[in-house]
Amino acid sequence: MSALQLLLRLPWLLLISISVLVLIGALALYSASEGSWSPWAERQLLRAAVGTVLLFLVAFIPTRWLYNWSYLGIILIVLVLAALPFIGIGVGATRWITLGPFNFQPSEPAKLAVIVALSRYLSSQTPEQMQSLLTYFPVLVFIAVPFSLILIQPDLGTSFMLLIGGLAVVFVAGLPRRYVLAVILAFLASLPILWSQLYNYQKARILTFLNPDTDKLGAGYQIAQSKIALGSGGLFGKGFLMGSQSQLNYLPEKQTDFVFTMIGEEFGFIGNLAVLFTYSVILMSCLLVALRSRNRFGQLLCTGISVMLFLYVFVNIGMVTGLLPVVGAPLPLISYGGTAMLTVFIGLGLVVNVAIHQHLHDNDLL
Amino acid sequence: MKKRKEQKELSSIMTRRMLMVGAAQFLLGASLIGRLYQLQISQTDNYRRLSERNQFDKRLIQAPRGRLLDVHDRLLAGNSEVFELRMLPSRVADLNQWLRRVGKIVGLRPAEIKGILKTIANQPDFLEVTVRTNLTQRELSKLAVLSPVLEGVSFRKGFRRIYPQGWMTAHITGYVSPANKQDVKDNPELRYLPASRIGRSGLERTFEFNLRGAAGLERIEVNAKGKPVRVLRDRQASSGEDIKLSIDVSAQSFAAERLRRGKSKTVPLQNPDVQRALLNNAELRAHVTTGDSLVLQDERGRLVPPESGAATVLDIHTGEVKLLVSVPGYDPNLFSNRLSVQDWRRLNEHPRTPLLNRVTSGLYAPGSTFKMVVLAAALEAGVVSQRTKYDCKGGFEFGDSTFHCWNEKGHRYVDAVAALEQSCDVYFYQIALKTGINRIHNMAQRLGLGLPTGIGFSDEKVGIMPDRDWKMESRGLAWTPGETVVAGIGQGFVLTTPLQLAVMTARIANRKYAVIPSLQAVTGRRDSIIFPPLDIAPEIIDVLHRGMRAVTSGPRGTARRYDLPKQGMAGKTGTVQVKRITKEQREKGIVDNIDRPWKERDHALFVAFAPYTRPKYAISLVVEHGGSGSSMAAPIARDILDHVLELDEQKAV
Repeated sequence: MSALQLLLRLPWLLLISISVLVLIGALALYSASEGSWSPWAERQLLRAAVGTVLLFLVAFIPTRWLYNWSYLGIILIVLVLAALPFIGIGVGATRWITLGPFNFQPSEPAKLAVIVALSRYLSSQTPEQMQSLLTYFPVLVFIAVPFSLILIQPDLGTSFMLLIGGLAVVFVAGLPRRYVLAVILAFLASLPILWSQLYNYQKARILTFLNPDTDKLGAGYQIAQSKIALGSGGLFGKGFLMGSQSQLNYLPEKQTDFVFTMIGEEFGFIGNLAVLFTYSVILMSCLLVALRSRNRFGQLLCTGISVMLFLYVFVNIGMVTGLLPVVGAPLPLISYGGTAMLTVFIGLGLVVNVAIHQHLHDNDLL
Repeated sequence: MKKRKEQKELSSIMTRRMLMVGAAQFLLGASLIGRLYQLQISQTDNYRRLSERNQFDKRLIQAPRGRLLDVHDRLLAGNSEVFELRMLPSRVADLNQWLRRVGKIVGLRPAEIKGILKTIANQPDFLEVTVRTNLTQRELSKLAVLSPVLEGVSFRKGFRRIYPQGWMTAHITGYVSPANKQDVKDNPELRYLPASRIGRSGLERTFEFNLRGAAGLERIEVNAKGKPVRVLRDRQASSGEDIKLSIDVSAQSFAAERLRRGKSKTVPLQNPDVQRALLNNAELRAHVTTGDSLVLQDERGRLVPPESGAATVLDIHTGEVKLLVSVPGYDPNLFSNRLSVQDWRRLNEHPRTPLLNRVTSGLYAPGSTFKMVVLAAALEAGVVSQRTKYDCKGGFEFGDSTFHCWNEKGHRYVDAVAALEQSCDVYFYQIALKTGINRIHNMAQRLGLGLPTGIGFSDEKVGIMPDRDWKMESRGLAWTPGETVVAGIGQGFVLTTPLQLAVMTARIANRKYAVIPSLQAVTGRRDSIIFPPLDIAPEIIDVLHRGMRAVTSGPRGTARRYDLPKQGMAGKTGTVQVKRITKEQREKGIVDNIDRPWKERDHALFVAFAPYTRPKYAISLVVEHGGSGSSMAAPIARDILDHVLELDEQKAV
């Protein structure tokens, strides 16, 4: 493959959109610290630089290697997740481990690891095997083990994002229709059981979400303030560094989970649409790469990553606009936070890898 | 072959499902845009308002209330700056301890602490609460020293209403008190006005809207922790309007003291007799505990409180009220803050009703001061001429009863002027009967009786000026001629206020115009005031003037000893029975007024105008249970008029 061919195969639209979001994120963080590059914006840009390096490293690894080492990720992550109650840190929920100067949240890469592992496993199944129920037992293990380990941290939001991302891969891989229906029914049937297993604060969040006026100063406070910030932004926003809700600290967590709200307050509906549009370009690029790929591994991987990214965006914006309950979900590439950002970069690196190697056939990987 | 087909099939299923995933993302993404549209476009106004409410703490700045000044710019009601102690609950770790600590310095009662805690519980903790108003200098300096270690404390400047003349002008100024729930309901802005005070009586109430001014508005940008970031002043506070009154404080104070003294002598409060009397004389005690130190000794040597009553002097050309005295008074300063229960009880249970403005709301039978009305009505109706004479034999028999003249021996033949001079009751019984109640009623109203005077006090009484319809409407009974006879000497149903009597006298003295009283100083050209015409024939007014002049200067005038030597005065005495004298008492010989219980003694009235030849002032004077109009009321009125005229002379020099 010549260098020119390589450049032509790079998904440029995807790469440009990523840069745009990173820059929007840096500006938002600059504003979140009341017009200062420290402490958030400069560190976020540094991470983005590291992320870009990772993206290209992942992008240029031969796909075959990826294919062969696909299970390594999930094995490592499950081990770390299992060890988390003993080595982890965190208040109320044990979600973090410390690696030198960095705090690392293993549940973020877990989502990616599950998608990679499922893509690998399902793409190696013959069409006949796809019809057999037995084929899906390993799938169940791939999803259920990290799902449960994250659920008990407890981190309801992330575990469900992992579950849905995994199921999306299984769905796209060609799960027979009867099983699709069975999964949906099983999910609905398990809801009451799941509810009874929830912690009180989790129930409270969901109840508050369903009836937001009951608790203006507690769990509903953040959402109420977020809606005020977004709504008062109007069409064009209050202007850069002029968001009173954010600048006067009425908006909680404005550098992480509520960064979209902050953009909405300062840049209005237009600003938010621009962010959403950029995401949609990324998601479309991922799906296009998936559709163009000649191998099932690449197709499943890209669709899975697209769904994962979409879930991040949808859950985060759904939460800050009061459409979904409060679950801590970052806005990919924009929210301050290392693990999620690096996970997203690695995921996008995989997409770029698939794009570069789109002509590989299934048989080439075996 | 089969394998190939299956692979193709799977491939198409996968493509379809990838597109389905894409479609699902698209739809869900569109719902997010819809939600954003709803928040940021459809409901943006609402959220903008909420954001503004978050961002800014609105604070109203109290406007100083307008002042009340006398004719020489002496202060009747003004403001003094006071400091208010405020606290930001979000910055106080232990509210109970904080309040206890501060409570020791500024003297907070347990009930007040409870109230503050309740206020705090009912509002977000980033809003300030008022802990105490009216801090003294001492408290302020103590707190200022403590403030570095006292969390969340702040001070705000406010105004307190003060009345430097105290009780002496209490019934003119009235008082203010803090806005209550009903006020806030009627005028929601008051809720946000710091320390708002509302005029409750007197001019404070009449001119409430002129005096109140407009509060200033400050917006304080606060962060989520309630810490002020910057202050924007939207509107300056504009103080209320100052009102210049026609009252002359020096005349007012002279009149008040003169009226209170009556005919008695002053006794120092330290006198052991006074101290002893205070122990067993409840009335005296009630009087002294309301803060009045004047104790008197009456003609019989008894220790008594000062006289109660009313004195009003009007400028007969402009209607300006020169003085308006109602005693006993009260200290309006007590009401400026929350009135203590004890003070309220003392004022309410005081046997001589200090809260009542006797000048405008005290109702008295006018007695003989009403005789000018009856005479004017009779002359105008033509039922008598000024030369018509009646023979007074000390009584007038009508129907089954005898109506007595105050002089049992009779006045013999009296004409109009002589009848006024000697206040012959029999003469007026007869002309009243001839004139009829409706004509008397009509004349009384033209002279200002039985109607609101227009002075503008909300609690002003109109009294009763009966006629046939009134009797039918209020009692459901027909008017009887006997009642006309009694009305002829200003008794029976007739009730007037001292101010109405002053207006009547001013109109008689003015001759031409129906003067309307006003407490506001007339500015600009004094002769430009136009009152409605009085429309009484000059000849009739002449007779009234001559009769009234004879009262103070005639050989048999009821007030002949109390004329004004230089300017001359024309007046009319009135002595009003409060308790009917029984037949037994009459047979035994009338008990001397002063020997009867105070409550049963006659009211002493006197109306007059002076100087006689070029009238300037009219006075009306009532001494409650003061005895006779001639011996009690006339000398007081004379002294007051004398003083007022002298003040004018001093000014002219």
